[in-house]
Amino acid sequence: MVEAVQVQLKKGVLELCVLALLSREDTYGYEIASRLTEGIGMGEGTIYPLMRRMQSDGLVGTYLVESPSGPSRKYYRLTDFGRTRFEAQKTEWTAFSAAVDAILKNASLGGAK
Amino acid sequence: MTRQDFIARLRAGLRGLPPAAVADILADYETHFADGASAGRSEAEVAAALGDPDRLARELRAEAGLRRWEAERNPSAAASAVFAVLGLGAIDVLILLPILLWVFGVLLGLFIAAVALFGVGAVVMVAGPFVVQTAPALALILAGLGLVAGGACLGSLATIGSIGCTNALTWYGRLHLRLLKPALDAQGSL
Repeated sequence: MVEAVQVQLKKGVLELCVLALLSREDTYGYEIASRLTEGIGMGEGTIYPLMRRMQSDGLVGTYLVESPSGPSRKYYRLTDFGRTRFEAQKTEWTAFSAAVDAILKNASLGGAK
Repeated sequence: MTRQDFIARLRAGLRGLPPAAVADILADYETHFADGASAGRSEAEVAAALGDPDRLARELRAEAGLRRWEAERNPSAAASAVFAVLGLGAIDVLILLPILLWVFGVLLGLFIAAVALFGVGAVVMVAGPFVVQTAPALALILAGLGLVAGGACLGSLATIGSIGCTNALTWYGRLHLRLLKPALDAQGSL
């Protein structure tokens, strides 16, 4: 059960992190995978199903960039809808994590007594 | 696992998806291996970091099946949504199977009844006045018309029922994919 909650939490957070990363700059799959998954502790492969889902939800768009070495590379960019979703989720997350922090701080004060 | 093994297992797991979608997905992972190689990682390292290709394929397939039903709303898309959910192959889907078969049977019965009613109504309406001499022709035509309308109505209800059932299954599959599957996999890997 705890495991299930953790995985769900991570999946939700991963989407928010992808939105955050793309809100700064357009980037490609390997870059997203290597920068995000390690810290959160998810397999790098989970990025691609997530990117496909986000693309069909209309949160991100793609375009190809010619590469000097090898095949052209697929870049992801945030759509307007994605940007709106990012702002909304960021606000939600900030409020949520502040509330959890406050509770944890209270608990540790209580424990010190 | 080498790049080739990983791609081969992913390709095998994605069988049944439109070739263009498979090519697109495989290209994503091929590029990932190429990028990993330029970053100085070995194929085995990259494959280990990507995770289990069979599980990735299941997730990609299920998502594709559910998407198609949402986009197309036709019988073939409904079937692929049903198979996508069944393809997840967990125990609770097996529990669901008898219920699914029962619902399918009831809907099939309704469709057959609708077609029969429609057919009988049409015969009564067209042939009735010539064959049956005891009743007035107008009454027979109206009765036939009533049966045809009843058949059409039953057919529509059964169609609405089928759409509703597939939607419910899509919802269930999504829930399963998002909540239960990761939990089961996490427990399995412990």
